[in-house]
Amino acid sequence: MASQRRRKGESLFIRYLILGTWALFCLAPVLWFLSIGLRPRTEIITPQPIYWPTFSLDAWHMIWSDWPMAKYLRNSVLAIIGSVVIDLVLAIPAAFSLARYEYRGRDDIGFYILSTRMMAPAIVAIPIFFLFRNMGLLDTVWALMLVYAAINLSIVTWIIRSYMIDIPKELEDAARTDGASDLRILWEIIIPAILPGIITAAVIAAIFAINEFLFTLLIASTPNAYTMSVALANFTGGSDGLIYNAIALVAFLAFVPVFLVVVAIQKHLSRGLTMGAVKG
Amino acid sequence: MARIELSGIQKKWGAIWGVRDVNIDIADEELIVFLGPSGCGKTTTMRMIAGLEDPSEGEIRMDGEVMNDVDARDRDVAMVFQGYALYPNMTIYENIRFPLRMRDVPKVDQDRLVREAAAMVELGDLLDRKPGALSGGQRQRAALARAVVRKPQVFLMDEPLSNLDAKLRQAMRIQIKHLQRQLKITTVYVTHDQIEAMTLADRIVIMEGGLIQQIGTPDEIYSDPANTFVAGFIGAPPMNLIEGRMEDGIFTAPSIRVEGLIRNLSGPVTLGIRPEDCHVAGAEAHVEGTVFGVEPTGDMTYLTINAGDALIEVKADRDYRSDLDVPETVAFDPARIAFFDTTSGQRIR
Ligand SMILES: Nc1ncnc2c1ncn2[C@@H]1O[C@H](COP(=O)(O)OP(=O)(O)O)[C@@H](O)[C@H]1O
Ligand SMILES: [Mg+2]
Repeated sequence: MASQRRRKGESLFIRYLILGTWALFCLAPVLWFLSIGLRPRTEIITPQPIYWPTFSLDAWHMIWSDWPMAKYLRNSVLAIIGSVVIDLVLAIPAAFSLARYEYRGRDDIGFYILSTRMMAPAIVAIPIFFLFRNMGLLDTVWALMLVYAAINLSIVTWIIRSYMIDIPKELEDAARTDGASDLRILWEIIIPAILPGIITAAVIAAIFAINEFLFTLLIASTPNAYTMSVALANFTGGSDGLIYNAIALVAFLAFVPVFLVVVAIQKHLSRGLTMGAVKG
Repeated sequence: MARIELSGIQKKWGAIWGVRDVNIDIADEELIVFLGPSGCGKTTTMRMIAGLEDPSEGEIRMDGEVMNDVDARDRDVAMVFQGYALYPNMTIYENIRFPLRMRDVPKVDQDRLVREAAAMVELGDLLDRKPGALSGGQRQRAALARAVVRKPQVFLMDEPLSNLDAKLRQAMRIQIKHLQRQLKITTVYVTHDQIEAMTLADRIVIMEGGLIQQIGTPDEIYSDPANTFVAGFIGAPPMNLIEGRMEDGIFTAPSIRVEGLIRNLSGPVTLGIRPEDCHVAGAEAHVEGTVFGVEPTGDMTYLTINAGDALIEVKADRDYRSDLDVPETVAFDPARIAFFDTTSGQRIR
């Protein structure tokens, strides 16, 4: 008994050791960024190794006072949340239709929706540029919102559909005999039952949107529509030369919220990713 | 309160038959039970009555009115599902109230009706729980309460007790029958459990392969089966079916000889006799075989006799004991013998 328990404890220890090493390996660059971001600029660019770093909030003050970081952040948040809302409003009814009704061409439509994700985005970059220019939406948050929504619509639909398929049909039948219309069934039965799936899809869409670079760069030509991802790329400090500590700090700050959300819902996330991708 | 007529009902998905031909006239306030093995079309028939499935052919009428094109939510039908289908995100209270809300019952009445229905199934103190926090029996009662709360024209119950253990099943059976009598609501009850069917039903509809094999009261079904399927399906153990020949009023099969039967029958026939209509005999025996098995149950003893080609089940006296493979003789109660056509399986009357 006792030796068995010890062996079990050992294997658990080894497991933690392996996973801990891996986590450290993955997180090291992130922590490195944090360390750079919280040190004075002079200390970062010195060629001598430093063993006792000096703590400094220079970079922190700099990013808020010298650059419109608040605006970039606002643009990011607005574009991302707006795009996720658009996606959910469109994807939930679409997924319901794909999951529940039988009609000619349903599977083709499902595949078509998914196929928009298979194309290389650069192919449509130029048409989209002209489209937004003609609509007068270039360099606005609205354009970013629409582009993000379009990019993620297929995956959001597909994830939500996979959750809907898992709901027992009996539940809907019960609601129908209880006198509920299709819309009430969707609103009162299905959506509450798949809320974890909807949240998962929303988070995945948000992460893709945060990381979106190509279209954002194309559409946002001034700080008016810059998001964190593009601002970071443009964020070199101008006449001050490269301000590594500020760059590192912004990069770290952009990473933290996503990291926290992913940790919070990681159980659902892996299911959402695999089901959305694999399950037909 | 409604009378339900199904005439010429068929259901087909592509090449798959769900229901081949169903004709039933269900009387107002009747409790009718669909009984049959898994896959025989019971659920499909019930779903067509509910309006959850459209029949491929045939007509469904309620109180004379054709219902085929009436949507499920506009038929005044309440269904209890095999898996209960309680709404997982709502409390039991909200679950029971749901049909009232959907039918725009005035708010002032809703609360009273929910509490009445919950009291009827003794669920009053669990109203604030979510379905996940209830036991199987409690969920079952919650599903019942949700069905009775709006006093529908018709109750449909699809194997509502199949997920419960035996003891609970019996208790719930009594409760369902009591409730149905009290509310006087036409009820269609689906099961594959013959005890449930026998104890609950005003009439039983026996189904097999999408076809109705027999409709009748439990007594009729038991003592007067229409064919070998019904005879072999009902009863535990079911009716003995012995293939043999008839000549001059004498039935013969290996080790079996029954004299003095009706003379107008000849050629191959199947003799049917229930185990309780067989008894261990001295003289005047019809079967001369050997003891194959002896199973005392306390109130009786199941005796299995090896008679040539056939194994014959006998419900023997509770004191009956015997070694195996010793000779034994059995007599049939001649008044209880039924004959079936060996090829078609149909009863010969
Ligand atoms: N939606 C469906 N599509 C195709 N076949 C079905 C469908 N529903 C039921 N069936 C088939 O119809 C037959 C009857 O099913 P069902 O009514 O559920 O049987 P029971 O309830 O008596 O067990 C079965 O063979 C089943 O496989
Ligand atoms: Mg069934």
